[in-house]
Amino acid sequence: MSAEKKVSLAEKRRQKKVDCDKLCPEWGCAQPYEYEGVWVVGEVDEQGITEPSLQMLTPARRIADKLETFVEGILLGSDREQLEKAAKEMIYHGADRVRILVSEELATYIPGVYGEAIARLAEARKPEVIFLAATMRGREIAPYVAGLLKAGITADCTQFEVDEETGDLLMIRPPFAAILLAYIKTPFRRPQIATARPNIFPLPPRDESREGEIVWENPEDYKLSKPPISLVKVEMLKRSEVPIEKAEYIVSGGRGVGTKEGFKTLEELAEILGGVVAGSRKAVDLGLIPHERQVGQTGKSVRPKLYIAVGISGAAQHVIGIREAGLVVAINKDPDAPIFKNADYGIVADWREALPILIEELRKLKERSGKTG
Amino acid sequence: MSLKVVVGIKWVPNTQAVRFDPKTGTLIREGVPSIVNPHDLDAVELALQLKERYGAKVTAISMAPPSAIKGLEHVIGMGIDDAILVSDRVFAGSDTLATSYVIAQTLKRIGDFDLALFGQETIDSSTAHIPAQVAGWLELPYMYYVDRVEEVDEKQRTVTVRRMLEDRLEWYQLKMPAILGVAMKSQKPRPVSIYNKLRVRMENPIQVWSNKELGLDPRCLGLKGSPTLVSKVTWTPEVPRKKQVIEGPPSEAVKKLVEKLCEEGVLPFEC
Ligand SMILES: Cc1cc2nc3c(=O)[nH]c(=O)nc-3n(C[C@H](O)[C@H](O)[C@H](O)COP(=O)(O)OP(=O)(O)OC[C@H]3O[C@@H](n4cnc5c(N)ncnc54)[C@H](O)[C@@H]3O)c2cc1C
Ligand SMILES: Cc1cc2nc3c(=O)[nH]c(=O)nc-3n(C[C@H](O)[C@H](O)[C@H](O)COP(=O)(O)OP(=O)(O)OC[C@H]3O[C@@H](n4cnc5c(N)ncnc54)[C@H](O)[C@@H]3O)c2cc1C
Repeated sequence: MSAEKKVSLAEKRRQKKVDCDKLCPEWGCAQPYEYEGVWVVGEVDEQGITEPSLQMLTPARRIADKLETFVEGILLGSDREQLEKAAKEMIYHGADRVRILVSEELATYIPGVYGEAIARLAEARKPEVIFLAATMRGREIAPYVAGLLKAGITADCTQFEVDEETGDLLMIRPPFAAILLAYIKTPFRRPQIATARPNIFPLPPRDESREGEIVWENPEDYKLSKPPISLVKVEMLKRSEVPIEKAEYIVSGGRGVGTKEGFKTLEELAEILGGVVAGSRKAVDLGLIPHERQVGQTGKSVRPKLYIAVGISGAAQHVIGIREAGLVVAINKDPDAPIFKNADYGIVADWREALPILIEELRKLKERSGKTG
Repeated sequence: MSLKVVVGIKWVPNTQAVRFDPKTGTLIREGVPSIVNPHDLDAVELALQLKERYGAKVTAISMAPPSAIKGLEHVIGMGIDDAILVSDRVFAGSDTLATSYVIAQTLKRIGDFDLALFGQETIDSSTAHIPAQVAGWLELPYMYYVDRVEEVDEKQRTVTVRRMLEDRLEWYQLKMPAILGVAMKSQKPRPVSIYNKLRVRMENPIQVWSNKELGLDPRCLGLKGSPTLVSKVTWTPEVPRKKQVIEGPPSEAVKKLVEKLCEEGVLPFEC
């Protein structure tokens, strides 16, 4: 036992070999040791780098440290100034280096073009891991990148680890039943590509003293195929309500609320708290709220200060979406509802009775604090 | 020469009927019927509208075990012209890359299609990978979250579609052949008609292709052709919560709850 020399994980990774004859010939073959580094693809919009892509630096930093390798941010676009600002943010949040591809072809966002650019960069630079945030745009680009690279991809991960024996990335996600977790790996194929939904990981601490290199890639090296797609027009939607993933107070309703009328009462409570209304998948299926307000495994993960679940049974697929919530309150008429095991405070009651009282009590408090404060 | 549209259909266990064994946390699959992935019906409906507007011929394809014939019969009942069931034991255990490979090769064998429509995601594994991966294999233009086809220009061979993101509507024009992911709940799928259902018996519109027809390298199929591998399964760690149920009649319990919320300091106003 003691005679065995301790081999570092970095060493084990370099020793890893795959038998090319066993792999699908369509994939092309490369050895895992040719790949190095953890990439985070940064999504940039009119406001700059988006929060979900910065959140991905949290697992990236942890995994890179375990693998004894670096974290690299990847940015694409046409506006140098904006991209440089985004690059600095990525470095402040934990990236060691940021690689930027600036090209006129990237002036408008077209998923196929962005996806191709990422794939071309990955073919040239050979990262070991690529992380993307599973925003609507991330969800459409990531599988295209994987399709072009003929690489494995795991969607909607909730955790990442490293296999101590092989150095393979363990991409951990809830399978069909959210009570279980599946550990997925891609031992014969690099890069290892994975996405995670916004808010699954916290934003890493921002440190303006962090330094890192910014590498401007030469667009001549990455000629993209002429895109057979064009953006015809865009119409911004006026959204008055705060999206649930950003809300500090959420009143969430399930099948137990039953009707649109019932959801009006939830709205009243949300308004007093300055929050928003969300719901379970059953509420979405019944047409009581839109899918973008669904909390859970196939909806959104939320992290409010306070989450009030009304008439929600607390299925595993639902509560996975409130793991990061501060305080959870449940109101349900069934004392055995599993939501009570996933809540801080519970009230066993018909919501039709309990909610009006809660609204009244909170309104009184609010008015009083408004007068004194 | 009329428009040719293909729709991808997944045969999935009806999640509404799925129960979990609370002791082992595993699925109880027995007696769980399979259905056509509900989000694929939006793609079927959009394809049928193209049939009405442009006289398109619509073919459904599904990579699935033989029982999926029932699902294909269902969409033919809705008005789809014909269907191909791609079924072979060597496809078992496919991850999304291997699945998309078989679908891409099926499309290649069909050959002259203009549009391939897919559901946005499935209700059982919901990765939303397949449409983009198929586009990757075939290097075709693709678009997700499409809720409307504005126009098909058969001369220029282009399609103009609308899609909705969280904060904007976007219109894109794609050169055909193109791949579209149809937004969930964006259409009102029509019911099955008896007339169409009868066609299943009269015309025998469902073909079955195995890997004999496709002739694909077994190293690219099923478990072998799947780079992702499930290495183990564990329980989800529980999030620590106080789990305090506040007793008493609603009015008292609510008042106690408000006191607790004040103590916790989570309210947006002073107590
Ligand atoms: C693959 C998969 C993914 C899924 N993803 C999600 C997801 O992302 N999000 C999600 O939410 N679900 C998801 N589900 C569905 C999930 O399993 C549950 O079916 C769903 O969360 C239940 O919704 P519910 O709690 O509103 O309804 P129910 O389970 O029907 O519960 C209703 C509750 O209301 C209570 N009630 C009824 N009347 C009253 C009253 N008057 N006052 C107070 N309480 C009352 C009842 O006691 C009951 O507990 C998924 C399922 C699968 C299989
Ligand atoms: C819980 C769970 C999680 C999984 N996670 C992953 C993962 O992260 N990565 C991975 O590689 N594999 C994963 N798999 C395997 C994956 O589910 C299968 O490869 C499956 O065949 C396709 O994935 P999907 O259902 O997510 O399809 P999606 O990409 O969500 O499907 C989108 C659309 O593609 C079409 N489509 C999908 N399948 C077919 C088909 N067989 N025939 C015709 N059209 C079809 C339908 O129109 C569908 O609406 C997972 C499986 C399970 C059960």
